[in-house]
Amino acid sequence: MTAQDTIRARAKELLESGEVATFIGWEAGRFANQTTPLVITDAADADKLVFDEYCVNTLAKYVRDVVSRGKVGLVVRGCDSRGIIRLVTDKVIKREDVYLIGVGCPGMKDRKTGELLKKCAECRHNNPLEFDEMAGDAVEKPAAAERFAEVAEVEAMAQADRSRYFESVYAKCIRCYACRDVCPCCTCRECFVDARRENWVGKQNNVAENRFYGLTRVMHIGDRCIECGECERACPMDLPLMKLNRKVIQDMNDLFGEFESALSLEDTTEPLIEYRLDDVEEFM
Amino acid sequence: MSVVENNGAYPENWEPKIIAFCCHWCTYTGADLAGLNRMNYPANVRVLRIPCSGRMNPQYVIEALNKGCDGVLVCGCHPGDCHYVTGNYYARRRMLIFKRLLEYEGLEPERFQVRWISGAEAGKFRDTVMSVVEQVRALGPLNLTREIPAFELPRIPDDEDAFNAVPEEVTA
Repeated sequence: MTAQDTIRARAKELLESGEVATFIGWEAGRFANQTTPLVITDAADADKLVFDEYCVNTLAKYVRDVVSRGKVGLVVRGCDSRGIIRLVTDKVIKREDVYLIGVGCPGMKDRKTGELLKKCAECRHNNPLEFDEMAGDAVEKPAAAERFAEVAEVEAMAQADRSRYFESVYAKCIRCYACRDVCPCCTCRECFVDARRENWVGKQNNVAENRFYGLTRVMHIGDRCIECGECERACPMDLPLMKLNRKVIQDMNDLFGEFESALSLEDTTEPLIEYRLDDVEEFM
Repeated sequence: MSVVENNGAYPENWEPKIIAFCCHWCTYTGADLAGLNRMNYPANVRVLRIPCSGRMNPQYVIEALNKGCDGVLVCGCHPGDCHYVTGNYYARRRMLIFKRLLEYEGLEPERFQVRWISGAEAGKFRDTVMSVVEQVRALGPLNLTREIPAFELPRIPDDEDAFNAVPEEVTA
């Protein structure tokens, strides 16, 4: 029995018994080797669910939209489960609002090239960290790429080159806010970019305002980022957003001690909302 | 006034524009004391009062730099002396991270500085302002790109092209 069969069978049982009101998984997309997230409320639809090596979307963020209808069942891999832990830690949902069917993830592939996705090549936790039951066994995965390799790459550049590099990044940004919409850490009821009356950020699409948005986004999610890489995958302009996120994470690791966000429900380390009296002092 | 290699890139009489975000309880009082003591410091600095250095939003810094400031100075009470007990401890962590992030994006470290200055340290306030102004003056104006650089779009064929085009089968 493959993981996909188990997921279908369990989704059907959960929906029929009324234990969950909605179930989130993936369905086959319009094109070959493409999947798209699927939210079902009817047990008859359970056979539409698929699980293959092209399930690129992370599902955790969808829970926020459907949790008002009742308990949500969903398939979780490593990144989804960390997203759920993030949402629970941020008190967006409660742990008992979700029923998690864990599945080991061998890494997802790009639909067009068939290569391992960048976010999956960098993934450090491919098996779910939080689940109610497992569909199939946990899988082995080759060692992930160096966590901060791409940060070191940019840091090696000269100051003027870095400035130009990030200016070209912000010049490309179209401010569609896909990175925000897909991020399991970005769960403010009203985002600062939507608060038009306060006018934190203007409506023009220029380098200055894109920079303002980009830097603010990093500072808002920096200490909670689960490094799922969804922002980068969702970006229609292919901006290197994880280079920014990882820079902040690397600095926090260096300055405030090793940490990795959302590894368990008990560990809620968030370096920017805590402090120690003997923190690094360089502003004297 | 040590301007290094101007090369006519900006006017000789250019003056740096520095914005200083000062905590109400310590640095703002310190700046006040500097005034009472008739200390001289450059007029390039614009002092803005914030309730506490913990109120310092990183967005203020980006906005200031985007809107034409050449440097930003953030000042607060010494750690342990915060009027609100813990505000500057949070500020310290946030500013450590944010300063590194700005430098990662290519900002010169001198353009964004953080200092702890107490209400009694009028002299330190004057010295800090003077050193920041001198450092930024040496760097020259901050020319952050504001508009998206123009690039040439490939020409899209229009109706006229279609009208003028000679069908291949006619010529053959």
